[in-house]
Amino acid sequence: MKTPDLIDSLVEAATPVRRLRPPLIRAALWLLLAVIVMGLLAVAHGLRSDIAMQLQQPVFVVGMVGTLATAILAAIASFKLGLPEGSRFWLLLPYPALALWVSTIGYGCLTDWVSIGPDGVRMGEAVRCFATLLLTSVPLSIAMLVMLRHAALLRPTAVSATGGLAIAAMTAFALSLIHDLDATVMILVWNLGSAALIAGLASAYGRSAFSWFASRVMPTIPPQLSR
Amino acid sequence: MGRFAGRWRKVSGLWKNSFLLSPRSQVYLAGRCVPPDSATVEARKQTTSMPTPHKPFAPRLTLVPSSGSSGDRTADSRPDWSTLMKRAQDGDRQAYRTLLQEVEPYVRSIAGRCFKQAIDVEDAVHDVLLTVHAIRHTYDPVRPFGPWLVAIANRRIIDRLRRETRRKAREIELSVEHETFPEPAANLDSNLSAELALADAIERLPPEQREAIKMLKLNEMSLKEAAKASGRSIAALKVATHRAIKNLRQLLNGERP
Repeated sequence: MKTPDLIDSLVEAATPVRRLRPPLIRAALWLLLAVIVMGLLAVAHGLRSDIAMQLQQPVFVVGMVGTLATAILAAIASFKLGLPEGSRFWLLLPYPALALWVSTIGYGCLTDWVSIGPDGVRMGEAVRCFATLLLTSVPLSIAMLVMLRHAALLRPTAVSATGGLAIAAMTAFALSLIHDLDATVMILVWNLGSAALIAGLASAYGRSAFSWFASRVMPTIPPQLSR
Repeated sequence: MGRFAGRWRKVSGLWKNSFLLSPRSQVYLAGRCVPPDSATVEARKQTTSMPTPHKPFAPRLTLVPSSGSSGDRTADSRPDWSTLMKRAQDGDRQAYRTLLQEVEPYVRSIAGRCFKQAIDVEDAVHDVLLTVHAIRHTYDPVRPFGPWLVAIANRRIIDRLRRETRRKAREIELSVEHETFPEPAANLDSNLSAELALADAIERLPPEQREAIKMLKLNEMSLKEAAKASGRSIAALKVATHRAIKNLRQLLNGERP
């Protein structure tokens, strides 16, 4: 196909489009969805039994703040990175919060090393944890993929890595809020393990997931031109 | 983004968009593409001297509204790319056509730095234009158009270069050096050489047998049609064909008829 013919077909296919809202607003919308999901989970399951006591502990509070900040900053970063002219330095935005979050986990590990008692963690709790993990991360991942589908054509890996980090941090926040996993090793496994799993899955499959979504949800390219 | 606007005032500033690309991508572009300075000159030359069929004058490279001009128009009172894109987003097809036509030589100059073959440049330009079309809703008219376009072009070009590298790592193009034998006929595909041998053998048959084979087997005529065309009896044609096949068998097995 010659370029003038291509331009003709593109002009032919040019329907009015709705402009994207500014990235901060879109990040806020995504975070609102996260709040709704977590609210529903909290209503269905209830907060952890010792929430009032935990909130007195500075390590827990700092850890929660770090997790939440990681989620918010990573969400902002991925929406900024999703725009063509967004600077790639947005990638660095969630790192300070991530460092804070990881450091509190590590600190807890050092101080509460022997806190697994004989009646520590029951199996049932772990299974419910897994349910919370899925119920939080799956809808948030789908929303992120749909909202950032245009990034498939730009830099899918960077966007999916930060997006995955945001989802992972939000999931970890929900887990700590809802389940009372006192054993530090379990917190380490659940928080860091699930975060690493989600972020790893996002970086490994983000590219193909984005293309898959883009090809289905973004039919703006005229079909005769899609190769 | 306002503080970046100054950077985009001139085309020569375009290559300074290092903050858009990762170091690996920059190395990639630097290794594959013509250095930006000469390319910029080239691009400028190309865009100003390129004959455009639709316009009496070549498009001026306008990336942001120049600071002195009033609002959304450039010095020569044509709407700039940002305004054209804004109208295109609202469904103005004429504005969209003008924009794509004006942008195309510019994208071509960017792609021209990285690809040598004209067809590769053409493909890259198509890729960039398709991407611009697909994600035109991500452009925000309050921001300059140039960085948006250049970022898309760079992403698509890097993707193409990477794909090309991967393909080249897997595939080897056959060249003259890859021929196995000095005799050209020996390098032919076996089916092809069999066909050639058969055609050669048919040519070496006696004239009557050759005619019979050509009419009945190659042209797939019926016995009646062949008899009518050649003026010979059906029985004679049958005999000639039978003998021809026998001779061909001998010829192809390397014996003399």
